[in-house]
Amino acid sequence: MKLNPQTIKKLQRFRSIRRGYYSLVIFCLMVILSLGAELLVNSRALVVRYQGKTYFPTYAQVIPGRTFGLDYDYETNYRQLAERFCKAGRGDWVLMPPVPWNPYENDLRLDRYPPFPPSIRDRHYLGTDTMGRDIVARLVYGFRIAIFFALALLAVNFSIGVSIGSAMGYWGGRFDLVFQRIIEIWSNVPFLYVIIIISSIVVPSFFMLIVIMALFGWIGITWTIRTTAYKERAREYVLAARAMGASDMRIIFRHIIPNTMAIIVTFAPFAVSGGIVALTSLDYLGFGLPPPTPSWGELLQQGWANLEAWWIVASVIGAMVVTLLTVTFIGEAVREAFDPRMYTIYE
Amino acid sequence: MTAYFIRRLLLIVPTFIGITVLVFIITRFVPGGPIERMIAQAQQMQARMGGGPSSAGEQGGQPLSEEQIEILRKYYGFDKPVLVSYWQWLSRVLRGDLGVSTRYYDPVWEMIRDRIPISLLFGVVSLVLIYGICIPLGIAKAIKHRTAFDNATSVLVFAGYAVPGWVVGVLLLVLFAGVWDIFPLGGVVSEDFETFSLGQKLADVAWHMALPIFSYVLGSFTVMTFLVKNTLMDNLAADYVRTAIAKGLSFRKAVFRHALRNSLIPVATSFGNNISIILSGSFLIEKVFNIDGMGLLGYESVVERDYPVVLGILVISSLLFMIGNILSDICVALVDPRVKFE
Repeated sequence: MKLNPQTIKKLQRFRSIRRGYYSLVIFCLMVILSLGAELLVNSRALVVRYQGKTYFPTYAQVIPGRTFGLDYDYETNYRQLAERFCKAGRGDWVLMPPVPWNPYENDLRLDRYPPFPPSIRDRHYLGTDTMGRDIVARLVYGFRIAIFFALALLAVNFSIGVSIGSAMGYWGGRFDLVFQRIIEIWSNVPFLYVIIIISSIVVPSFFMLIVIMALFGWIGITWTIRTTAYKERAREYVLAARAMGASDMRIIFRHIIPNTMAIIVTFAPFAVSGGIVALTSLDYLGFGLPPPTPSWGELLQQGWANLEAWWIVASVIGAMVVTLLTVTFIGEAVREAFDPRMYTIYE
Repeated sequence: MTAYFIRRLLLIVPTFIGITVLVFIITRFVPGGPIERMIAQAQQMQARMGGGPSSAGEQGGQPLSEEQIEILRKYYGFDKPVLVSYWQWLSRVLRGDLGVSTRYYDPVWEMIRDRIPISLLFGVVSLVLIYGICIPLGIAKAIKHRTAFDNATSVLVFAGYAVPGWVVGVLLLVLFAGVWDIFPLGGVVSEDFETFSLGQKLADVAWHMALPIFSYVLGSFTVMTFLVKNTLMDNLAADYVRTAIAKGLSFRKAVFRHALRNSLIPVATSFGNNISIILSGSFLIEKVFNIDGMGLLGYESVVERDYPVVLGILVISSLLFMIGNILSDICVALVDPRVKFE
């Protein structure tokens, strides 16, 4: 693919904005690491060496305890296995991930009740939540869900918003007026109300929640694209295309939408952070993804209800600040790079 | 231009009807309405009385008889077609009657009226703080563009923008009320508020308001600061400012007399929308700090399916929203004589 010189210049300008560029690097790194989260935060071992044979349980089928000479048929508890091998000292060994917990298991003790404060000895580096689940594990898997939720929502919202918005701006007139009223009505329907209603009828799944959120999320971008399309329509190149006999569809999709690309790209990072916040808010209120899905909102709710367990709120908010701040910095840098006006400073 | 605003005012009517019809229809076709709730309550009562002697609910554990349900349906207007009962509701609203809460049996208007002062207090204070801090900060950042001061404040302001206000509220609550015990856990006044002197009362309210107000202000802070900064920078680079300096005006006068006045136009565009923000508040912040305002009332009535309250709040908030939009346009026309609405 050959980029046109203007785009290359924009990309160069983006790279020159240090804060935004490094944020993008960190953000991509976080997403890639979260894709391989099973290798970093998991109750399954990475490698098990037992009687001369090597096992890689992470992505494999469930390996029953009997395989390793234990007396049960359900999934092996690798943390106990590691201790056992260590005591036996026969050269068998287990390599656990850095955080040896998965987000669903409850670490229950006989002598005390969770939440447990952070402890390096128990390998709960950020402590546990009120059900004894490891917070690092909940955060990492919750991040993966939230970020892909936000990206999917972005794709759906923008495809709807861009097509309707450019149609409104291009055709204008009565079509525009009718849609304006529809949007005005639609944006006034209490959004939370509909979500609560739907989640009272069915338990919302990941895709269901995206559909529901998209029902209300397309409005913002539609307005913006409408205004731009309105301006673009009056430009000469549209007139020229029409004079050459291009159909309305062709003009909208081949001429107007590529020219609104700068705006679409500029809004995307902010839409991602908006998606993460929206999912977190819903989970906080208890109307998001059903438990026990790992979620930041649910952790916030727990922290809010247990003020003395400060490590819950501190770790969620720390994670949120890092994630949202990098996304916002990316957005700001993109906006600056795509904005043709370079500010002149008064001298 | 008068014709334009009259047309805008007239357009409120179809939009208002559209919004209320839509929500009214939703309320009718959703499980968990007032009748289901009453049945559930009656079932609980029966269970608590250990089955009890009442034999009305023999079939399938149904505690209310058919006739009782029929009476209830009539009482809530569920026996008529949707549009007929919508019309009844609308004609009552036009006469100023918002109905009665199905949860507390209080008139809806009284419930809303009791919450208005609280939301108004938070709204006005945060508005004053936002405009009072953001405009000077924006000016300072524009004049000192790309200096250490500008960069440092940008990072701070962005951190505030990235994290939503209610999340910061949870953090503040844990830190200042849970760990250090400096601020109260929530609410608007202390328990023995009535016995305080006037000075103590003011101090008490301020003490309770500190954390929520911080969360409120945080939300609009960044947008406003950058709006002021960016428009002022645009104007500073404009020819008329150069002309003003060239004819011998001091830099100070050029900024404050000429550039700043033009930069406040975009600030004015959003001014009208404040009317709905002031009154409706943020239900998330109100929930975190347990403030009994309009936002929390709306949220609770939605969760509890208290339809008259939901619709009552919807009537008020949608009217405020639409009037706010028109007010914004009027503000723009007032501050910028070049703007002509046709």
